[in-house]
Amino acid sequence: MKDLSSNRLLKIFLYLALFAILAPMVIIIFWAFANQWPWPNLLPTSYSLRGVKEIFAPYGKVFPILTSSITLSLTVALLSAIIAIMTARAIVFYDFWGKGILDFISMAPNLVPSTVFAMGIHVVFIKMSLANTPLGVIIVHLIYTLPYTINIMRNLTESIGKDMEQQAYVLGASPWKSFLYISFPLLLPGIIASITMAYILSFSQYFVTLLIGGGKVMTFSMIMVPFIAKGDRTLGSAYALVFVISTLLVFTIINTIMKRFQKRKEKYNWN
Amino acid sequence: MNKKTPYILIMPIVLLGVLFIYGLVNGIIQSFGYIPAFDLRDFTLDYYVKVIKSPTFLDSLKLTLQISLISSILSAVLGTILTAALVYTGHTEGKALQIIKLAILIPHTIVALFSISILSQNGLLARLFYKLGLIDAQTDFPLLLYTKNNIGIILGYLWKEVPFVAYFSLSLMASINKTLGEAAENLGASRLKSFFYITLPLSMPAIGKAFLIILTFSFGAYDLPFLLGATVPKALPVQAHIEYIHPDLRHRPYAMAMNGLILLITWIMAGIYYLVTNSKKIKGDNHERS
Repeated sequence: MKDLSSNRLLKIFLYLALFAILAPMVIIIFWAFANQWPWPNLLPTSYSLRGVKEIFAPYGKVFPILTSSITLSLTVALLSAIIAIMTARAIVFYDFWGKGILDFISMAPNLVPSTVFAMGIHVVFIKMSLANTPLGVIIVHLIYTLPYTINIMRNLTESIGKDMEQQAYVLGASPWKSFLYISFPLLLPGIIASITMAYILSFSQYFVTLLIGGGKVMTFSMIMVPFIAKGDRTLGSAYALVFVISTLLVFTIINTIMKRFQKRKEKYNWN
Repeated sequence: MNKKTPYILIMPIVLLGVLFIYGLVNGIIQSFGYIPAFDLRDFTLDYYVKVIKSPTFLDSLKLTLQISLISSILSAVLGTILTAALVYTGHTEGKALQIIKLAILIPHTIVALFSISILSQNGLLARLFYKLGLIDAQTDFPLLLYTKNNIGIILGYLWKEVPFVAYFSLSLMASINKTLGEAAENLGASRLKSFFYITLPLSMPAIGKAFLIILTFSFGAYDLPFLLGATVPKALPVQAHIEYIHPDLRHRPYAMAMNGLILLITWIMAGIYYLVTNSKKIKGDNHERS
């Protein structure tokens, strides 16, 4: 009896939590399409496409910035996943000089707030002419995504192990081929997780992009935040909606491409 | 395979690591007042002393600690309950988890927008209170945004971090419950007892790690306090950035000294975390032996 009631409490808590997560998003959708929503109405009194139209108006340049922002974050995500695969393999499979230090350093950005690091590296980047360039922004984003992607790839690399790949190698496949045909398909779920994780971290960045990009590198967050800072609910919500939908779209595309990759690999393996 | 292989594999991370350390050390050196580019060449602790003595800094520090401690402790507690709710009601995958992942995907900047549209004086909550007859006018609704109580910021962090804690500790708690928790129940322990004596203590490593991550993150974060904070006092990272972009470049070391203190406190938090978790381990070992 007691168990039943505690279970019911947990269920109520769960549904409340899920409601609390979803409710603000629904409100944002209403705001994005609200024309007038005066106090004290709980629903808009009239709707319009003003917000969405304003975003995609040709003079606003929002669409080109969205595409270049997605490209920048995808670049960060792919590089982060590749570097994470390499680092994870080195740490899990090999012994080398400085392994302990590397292990620590790969996780260290978690212990240095990105604001502190960005202000520290800014002068260096100005000297190296990396400030105000996409490359500079990509490097800083990369540094802050790597602890997460390396962690994902490390756990997976550890659990898959080296045996199967080694068998392919012993049977005469080149190291590269035995990695590509044996380990890579097994690592694919982790690669997808790494890419999506790094993508969202990069696409969300505001402060670091503002400082290192110097207003010259425009990302979607950079054009969205001023509306939120002003408290413009209609346009802020329209931007937020585009942010979420575009991110979900990118994730779906990444997933489909990766799955297709896996299928093709399977076909090769059967032949 | 080849002996060189590991060194080739770590080349990119070493390059980025060197850059990371270079940036960090460079910031710390600037905090001691050494910036040759601005003709500052004295190595001194003065900037730290001045920053620590200034009331603006102390107010900011208090405020930032308050926000990050309250939001992180509440997030850890509520996040643990949410994890337990997911585990015990059998929602460890599927739609519920998708919704929780959605919260992780939303950036803090958009969370600020949520706060504005719900918690401001003409926000949805105030409207609801008005309709229910709890308040008579907009101004009767308490100020939650842009004020010293920082409730808007803390609630914003809760919205983001509670799902994070749940997502972070879910797999560990689910697996422990499946093996040891259910075993304890089979042996006659009540579900409540098996949760508090078996499942929760064994899930603590994941919960503790999640707590450390959100604590240090919210202490050094810029977005939410920048968008929802009061004019004075400002959160430390926001205050540091204001000093950083000060037109008088000789102000730069003050910004860097603030950053140095943010860093120091972050490391102290991490240090305490490791001390606490390690001492627990030692205690646990003794327990096993006796």
